[in-house]
Amino acid sequence: MIENGTTQVNAAAAPAQKPKRPKPKSMQMLNEQTTALFENARLAKERGEKVGWSASIFPQEIAETLGLNVLYPENHSAGIAARHQADPFLQECEGPLGYSNDLCAYAKVNLAYASVLNNESEVELPDGGKMVKPDFLLLTNNICNQLTKWYENLAYQMNIPIFFIDTCYNPCDYVTETRVRYVRAQIDQLIKDLCAFTGKTWDDKRFKEVMKISQRNSYLWERANNLMDHKPAPLSGFELFNYMSAMVCNRGKISSTAVLEQLNQEIEEHIKEGNSTYPVKEEYRISWDGIACWPYLRHNLHTLKQYGINMVASSYGKAWAIEYEDLDGMARAYCFASTNGDNATTMISRRMEALKKFDCEGTIYHVNRSCKVMDCQMMEVQRQISAQAGIPFTSFDGDQADYRNYSEAQFETRIQGLVEVMKQNKEAKMNG
Amino acid sequence: MADLKSNIAFLQEACKNPRARLDYYLKQGKKVVGCFPVYTPEELIHASGMIPMGLWGGQTQLKLAKSYLPPFACPIMQSNMELGLSGAYQGLSAVIIPVLCDTFRCMTQNWRFGVPSIPMIPIVYPQNRKSPASVDYLISEYENVLTMLTTITGKMMNEKALAETIAIYNEHNAVMREFAKVANDHLDIVTPQVRHTVMKSAFFYEKSEHTAIVREIVEELKKLPAYQFTGKKVILTGITCEPDELLNIFTENHMAVVGDDLAQEMRQYRTDTPEKGGGGLKRLALQWNSRHGCSLIYEEGKPRGKMLVNLCKENGAGGVVTCMMKFCDPEEYDQPYFEADLREAGYPYLTIEIDQQNTSYEQIRTRIQTFSEMI
Amino acid sequence: MYTFGIDIGSTSSKAVILKDGKEIIAHQVISLGTGTIGPKEAKEQVFEEASISPEEISYTIVTGYGRMKCDYADEQISELSCHAKGIHYLLPTVRTVIDIGGQDAKALRIDDKGRLIQFQMNDKCAAGTGRFLDVMAKILNVDINDLGPLSEKSNHPASISNTCTVFAESEVISKLSSDIPLEDIAAGIHESVAKRVAGMALRIGKTPDVAMSGGVALNIGVVHAMEREMECPVLVHPLCQSAGAIGAAILAWEKFTKEKVR
Repeated sequence: MIENGTTQVNAAAAPAQKPKRPKPKSMQMLNEQTTALFENARLAKERGEKVGWSASIFPQEIAETLGLNVLYPENHSAGIAARHQADPFLQECEGPLGYSNDLCAYAKVNLAYASVLNNESEVELPDGGKMVKPDFLLLTNNICNQLTKWYENLAYQMNIPIFFIDTCYNPCDYVTETRVRYVRAQIDQLIKDLCAFTGKTWDDKRFKEVMKISQRNSYLWERANNLMDHKPAPLSGFELFNYMSAMVCNRGKISSTAVLEQLNQEIEEHIKEGNSTYPVKEEYRISWDGIACWPYLRHNLHTLKQYGINMVASSYGKAWAIEYEDLDGMARAYCFASTNGDNATTMISRRMEALKKFDCEGTIYHVNRSCKVMDCQMMEVQRQISAQAGIPFTSFDGDQADYRNYSEAQFETRIQGLVEVMKQNKEAKMNG
Repeated sequence: MADLKSNIAFLQEACKNPRARLDYYLKQGKKVVGCFPVYTPEELIHASGMIPMGLWGGQTQLKLAKSYLPPFACPIMQSNMELGLSGAYQGLSAVIIPVLCDTFRCMTQNWRFGVPSIPMIPIVYPQNRKSPASVDYLISEYENVLTMLTTITGKMMNEKALAETIAIYNEHNAVMREFAKVANDHLDIVTPQVRHTVMKSAFFYEKSEHTAIVREIVEELKKLPAYQFTGKKVILTGITCEPDELLNIFTENHMAVVGDDLAQEMRQYRTDTPEKGGGGLKRLALQWNSRHGCSLIYEEGKPRGKMLVNLCKENGAGGVVTCMMKFCDPEEYDQPYFEADLREAGYPYLTIEIDQQNTSYEQIRTRIQTFSEMI
Repeated sequence: MYTFGIDIGSTSSKAVILKDGKEIIAHQVISLGTGTIGPKEAKEQVFEEASISPEEISYTIVTGYGRMKCDYADEQISELSCHAKGIHYLLPTVRTVIDIGGQDAKALRIDDKGRLIQFQMNDKCAAGTGRFLDVMAKILNVDINDLGPLSEKSNHPASISNTCTVFAESEVISKLSSDIPLEDIAAGIHESVAKRVAGMALRIGKTPDVAMSGGVALNIGVVHAMEREMECPVLVHPLCQSAGAIGAAILAWEKFTKEKVR
């Protein structure tokens, strides 16, 4: 579901005059890791190895255990959007490729990108991470259904196989055993098929190793997010979105362990020194619901900064709490991951927990035009949370990658409205 | 001839006033369970001695639904939500919602909280049908539906009843397919609007009752000499093609529908449940595995285009009209591929937008007229 | 032998009298459309110009938004088919026509006989139509006819990213209050229209020659922006607004001569 090192965003966005804060070491490590990801895939392809594209919440442990190079289209599209390079791909997708404007913008960008790699379209591929043409696809639908259609199309277009784990949405608050059995059976078959296709072999010892690394990284990620409960929060919350690329694209790697340990260390430093990367005084603590509005991060941050609003909680803090000890556990965990585990009650309880833990005074909902799976139950969830938590919220129209679905004026007005209510509440509280 | 006219009139009435059909069954003391599109296990309801009734939205203005769904949600879901919230579905014992796309996922939750007076039963069909484990998984989903139905209504089924129901549904499929075939020789009587009526009315009848009526229609049609239709013939593809005002535009332009790949119509009737292969639930699961060429069911190879080309060839159609349900992303992903196949085979195609909140058809009129001038 | 073609649009009425299916002997454009006296005036004036009486007309075809309400025509045909024929008459080498009208935008692919092969339309949304330009011209306080020449002065088109007319309006206002030069905003507006329409047009392919038609084709700024987006030259014929009426008159002749032969 996620993004990429957005160094280029920061570089392009900041006006020349202001002295720039030096990039933290963890960010540098992250960027190196991202560069390595694309480069290794390229080199692997040159060596004649099979390289894949994967859905973001596919069990990365499988590819990692087999030693396969895998890239992540969702993440890649987010990076393109954040660096304002999406336009020619959107035009190509909705124009000559004949797709509807209604589709998820990650898919739109990627379908056009794939078309270029497949020699069917001519759009200049931007720098900042070039993906190679895949030889296979790894697909799960625990995030959403659009992924299945998107990958169905990619497979046909490039004439490559898909290795698919159907994870079945959970309308209940738990994963049924029937789902676990179905998913486990698919995982077992998939590992066989993938080995046969790529010529790799499954090594149980290596799998145990990868699981251990992945658990460690999940723990470190959650730990970093949890440290935002300090007042003031030690980071500008949006920065955590950047580190998600480690969790999406490299969760089973020790390079991520290094990045996340470094990040945790840096955060603890800030807490010790009593400072923060948030540029102004933290006046209001809010939670952000939904993914970042990548094409307009700068405007979002700028507007929030005016009022001292810091995002201290998001729905992604626990997103990779994917803990398990064996393949059955893996089946269960991935079946409940992401929006698959987002029936209304689960969604509400997770958010309530976060609002309490991080002591949030308000919530900003990103009505992401690309994401029907979130938006179509958002209103009911908002109502229930608002009633239970008693804190105000606002929503704004945006998009994770299509820059045409946003209005600066609307965002500013809505944030101002939220601030007015939060201010009122704060004053009422102080006056008893 | 009189039978033919009055049978068609019954079906027209059912489509115009489905509420009357619901009340009809309730008065008989029967329980009725609402079935969301596109694929719901009606057989389980039927075998339990209850009446399944399709909920395909309707031409409604949205007010209450706006508190649950954003403007870019599927029109059928918007309408169903509106009708549910406003009490139009009162009398239904439960609704079954199949999770076939992202908006459906959210609908299970919206209904759960928005219309608690009508209990919601979800079913999540497997998409990886290549996996043999998908069959057992689907069987357990069916069993969950049955448990919930029993808990809510007190009604239960047994294996014998299920076998009988499956036979009834297969028979119904056969008669609908026969109707589609015979209709093409009588396009003067079976206008696009009449064809649609026969197809859609199936959702408002107990299946064997509907079979009987359609069988009579088919017999009466067969007695008549074949009609030489001189206008343009088209295939429809998409989720739905309605309302009548839209269908009549085809007639206005001397066009006939000679086949369809609509979710509301032939996609319901083109796949039978195998007569052998295990118990009823297992066979129903195998039917799911045989479904083919539908945007809502994961399938490799994008076969829909070739299927449409064949439909054109088999029925002498001059082109395809894509009835694009607004905001329907599964259909939107399929579109460029089946259009490419049609182009390659030399069949022109037209896209019209289907929206249940639409009140004006002028633009669609222009497009259909232009298409008739083209093919 | 004379045929009569009349295009009753939403905001204008165009009438053409054709001799022997080849020569335009009279042509009138009235800036009033369906439901007004426009169609009647166009008809009267075109016959006056031709110096013939309605009885001398062998066949009449009506097209356009108001075609259903015309009681004297022999036939009514959609404006897409008529337009295709008309543009082919005016520019015989054209195979792709992009028509941006007041309320909709169309892309047509035609063959070497002016027959319509494929078409794509945007008729639900104001963005990418003349309406969008009207709204923006008002905000800039510029006459709609001056918008084109104004935008040509720009070297740095402003970026108007929103595809929703209502949101784009607020973007333009914010750019105005940031003192961005009028010509840059005008150029940005044209770019926005061109992007949207080119996207739609490219769905049916880009077979040369490409021509623009409809009222907006007279806006040189939009035409140049379209050339940049489509990455090919875009032709505009001075009579393009009347392509529908011309095509109707030609189709009238084709139908009538076919009837006579039969």
